[in-house]
Amino acid sequence: MKNTNINRRRFIQLSALAGGALTVGCIPTSDGKEQAINLASLSDEAGFPLNQFIKITEDGTITLFTHRPEMGQGTFQSMPMILAEELEVNINTVKIEQSIADRDLYGSQMVVGSRSVQSEYHKLRKMGAAAREMLVQAAAQQWGVDAKTCFAKNAQVFHKDSENKIAYGALVQAASKLSAPQNPYLKPVSEFKVIGQPIDRQDIPLKTNGEAIFGLDMQVEGMLHASVERSPVFLGKIKSFNEAEVLKMPGVKAVVKTKRNVWGHEREGVAVVAETYWQAYKGRKALKVKWDNQDLEKNSTESLFEAYKEDAKKTGDSLHKDGNVAPIFEKAENIVEATYEMPYQSHVPMEPMNAIVHVEKDRVRYWGATQNPNGVRSQLMRQFDMPAEKVGINYTFMGGGFGRRSQTDMVEEAADISKQVNAPVKVIWTREDDQTQGPFRASQINTLRGVLGENGEIAALEHKIVAQEIRNQTGDDMTAGRQLMGGVNTDYQIPNFSVKGVLQKNYVPISYWRAVYHSTNPFAHESFIDELAHKAGKDPLDFRLSMVKRHPKFEPALKLVAEKANWYEKAKAGTAKGVAICERSGGYFAMVCEVKQEGEKIRPIKITTAIDLGICINPDTVKAQTEGSIVMGLTAAYAGLTIKNGAIVEQNFNTYPLLRYHECPEIETHIIPSADDPAGAGETGLPTVAPALANAIFNLTGERIRRLPLDKMNIIAG
Amino acid sequence: MATINFTINGKKASLEDVDPEMPLLWAIRDNLGLTGTKFSCGIAQCGACTIHVDGAAIRSCVYPISAAEGKEITTIEGLSENNDHPVQKAWIEAQVPQCGYCQTGQIMAAAALLKENPNPSDEEIEATMGSVLCRCGTYPRIKKAMSQLVKK
Ligand code: FES
Ligand code: FES
Repeated sequence: MKNTNINRRRFIQLSALAGGALTVGCIPTSDGKEQAINLASLSDEAGFPLNQFIKITEDGTITLFTHRPEMGQGTFQSMPMILAEELEVNINTVKIEQSIADRDLYGSQMVVGSRSVQSEYHKLRKMGAAAREMLVQAAAQQWGVDAKTCFAKNAQVFHKDSENKIAYGALVQAASKLSAPQNPYLKPVSEFKVIGQPIDRQDIPLKTNGEAIFGLDMQVEGMLHASVERSPVFLGKIKSFNEAEVLKMPGVKAVVKTKRNVWGHEREGVAVVAETYWQAYKGRKALKVKWDNQDLEKNSTESLFEAYKEDAKKTGDSLHKDGNVAPIFEKAENIVEATYEMPYQSHVPMEPMNAIVHVEKDRVRYWGATQNPNGVRSQLMRQFDMPAEKVGINYTFMGGGFGRRSQTDMVEEAADISKQVNAPVKVIWTREDDQTQGPFRASQINTLRGVLGENGEIAALEHKIVAQEIRNQTGDDMTAGRQLMGGVNTDYQIPNFSVKGVLQKNYVPISYWRAVYHSTNPFAHESFIDELAHKAGKDPLDFRLSMVKRHPKFEPALKLVAEKANWYEKAKAGTAKGVAICERSGGYFAMVCEVKQEGEKIRPIKITTAIDLGICINPDTVKAQTEGSIVMGLTAAYAGLTIKNGAIVEQNFNTYPLLRYHECPEIETHIIPSADDPAGAGETGLPTVAPALANAIFNLTGERIRRLPLDKMNIIAG
Repeated sequence: MATINFTINGKKASLEDVDPEMPLLWAIRDNLGLTGTKFSCGIAQCGACTIHVDGAAIRSCVYPISAAEGKEITTIEGLSENNDHPVQKAWIEAQVPQCGYCQTGQIMAAAALLKENPNPSDEEIEATMGSVLCRCGTYPRIKKAMSQLVKK
């Protein structure tokens, strides 16, 4: 990937000096700010930007800028597809380039919560349409006709009443001088030609021959390398380290204390800085750090869960309430109760955390893989009291993110080291660092209580969540926030339903992880709905259907998955199916998992999904994201982190087994056609995996899975 | 410190004054600037760092550079001139990569397997591909690409 992230303001100067600066009106970005921006800043090459997303040269080369970082989710292609639709160009012949990081030009560029397509859909259509109208206008002016008698198709403008046509390249100079229409005409969905097509991704060939550049691959002139020893119990403080000894090792330039902030906690480390990575790593291995770990080493998975279980007895804060559960529980003769446990998880992107930062007297520059390029800029502005234009952000492809790269602690640390050694510094985390330092996906205990009515319907349901909350990890406020109840299905028609939260605070750092609380709560919720269905003697899929009657998304999805997975057919010997549903990021999923007994163990053999995500920009990407979410969901069902002596036990892939090629079940994804605005696709397939699997295991064995991960229970074949 | 000579992607390379214990991975990435070969686990568990040494797939994160003396090495950059090795073509056709980070390892492992045995059984494919990890979950598409390659 070409590095196009050159400071915009510098370019304004450069082009002003060159005398040929183009200034055209910009369309407001998502934050609603409108401004005149010098668009020559978009590139140092010739060409005429029509807005911050579209540049055309006179020879007809069309470049579309994708402003969301790519971590595998496919926005590198799906953002430009939206532009191309309205711009009337062939997506397969345009050039796609990553845009610069610039909040003023692009609004938020952070890739989290499966939000990119959802939040950028209307904006990008407008950008494409506005540029098209400028080109049409330029042609109409040239021909002296009314623009209404002209139309655009395949990168050309045509005149309806004559044979006249002109290619975009020949129009762009004139078009770029027109002011951008603020309310361009958008096509009806029925006329879409690009959106909705399974179009090959342009980033894929770069990823089959080593050409794609990731953060780890960046090199900067004069760069030193660092490897950092960090407290295994997260919050340990440095007492002493053998600096003199390590300094004598080959290539080692410095041994310095460093720090970074993770969700309000200051975390310490000792960095060994050397000429090469290998020297830095060897130096670090020779490092002996004495930590003041206070009494954190007394913590273990068991001791933390003890505290959770104790707190599960508390009433909790009300997060959601329909009707009134209390009188029903009081009168009930039979209350069904269950408790579910889920472990901490690490993100495990295959590319470990890394960052290059160069702190100089009057500027700071960053190179790396981030989900949050403008957040990195804000971090460095804060850290060194620099104005935005003095902080250069160069972001690359990411070798996975899953939420971990939305944080900027790895940048803060690299910057802190660079400042101390007065050179550009590249910090590479080892797999063990990545795996054991967090911040992690939350571990939690959920307790559910339910009462069935006379006809076997749910009369009352209470779901209590005992967990840490990402946005409230320090301080005295012990009120549980609504964030905690992500993924608890409030669309079920249950007359008396309450969700409660009991906030936990402890020393283990947590953060956003693919699907966030939707990766935990649905395991409890959808398992318990299944328990109630069985108690009521009803088919679990029909039981759910009866509670989503006339729901425009869930009802069709459940019916479709039942049909595609042959739900009602008698199971073959040694097999069984389980079902679960969930909404995430506006997308609705119904999933059926089929398991099979193989000797002592059980294996999921097929997962069928029916999904409604509104309009799918690229259905092939949606399928890929669904497959990816399912694989990650299975790993999270099988494996998890444990804590012993205050530290994470599972350090690398030998003890934290990711799902493997031959363990992956067949996956069938059925997309329900829709003209609704698009929902997010990157996480939506994950929440239903664990409950659908656990429900299938129950149907096969009669044994209820109430605790993850399964690897500790010796159930799953691998 | 040692001097090590080998051939990489058809060209001679000589590394002077290197720690003989340094894994070949870091020599390839940092000394020779070929960054297509990736680092992920460092303990031969994931396959991201897979290269060919004298035609066989090895994990360069645990392969000391001293062992590379006189060897013929191929990295992803040298697998084909124009991204047109049959495995690369099948990977693009099946739209396998997501983030792409593990794909060097996937492709190099598959290429070595098929070179040695153009018609591997499902078990043989599983034994090879089952040892290369992908966090993005591209396995269903790898399976599709492999079945295309084996059919041909
Ligand atoms: S980095 Fe070599 S096998 Fe994982
Ligand atoms: S494609 Fe991302 S790890 Fe395999």
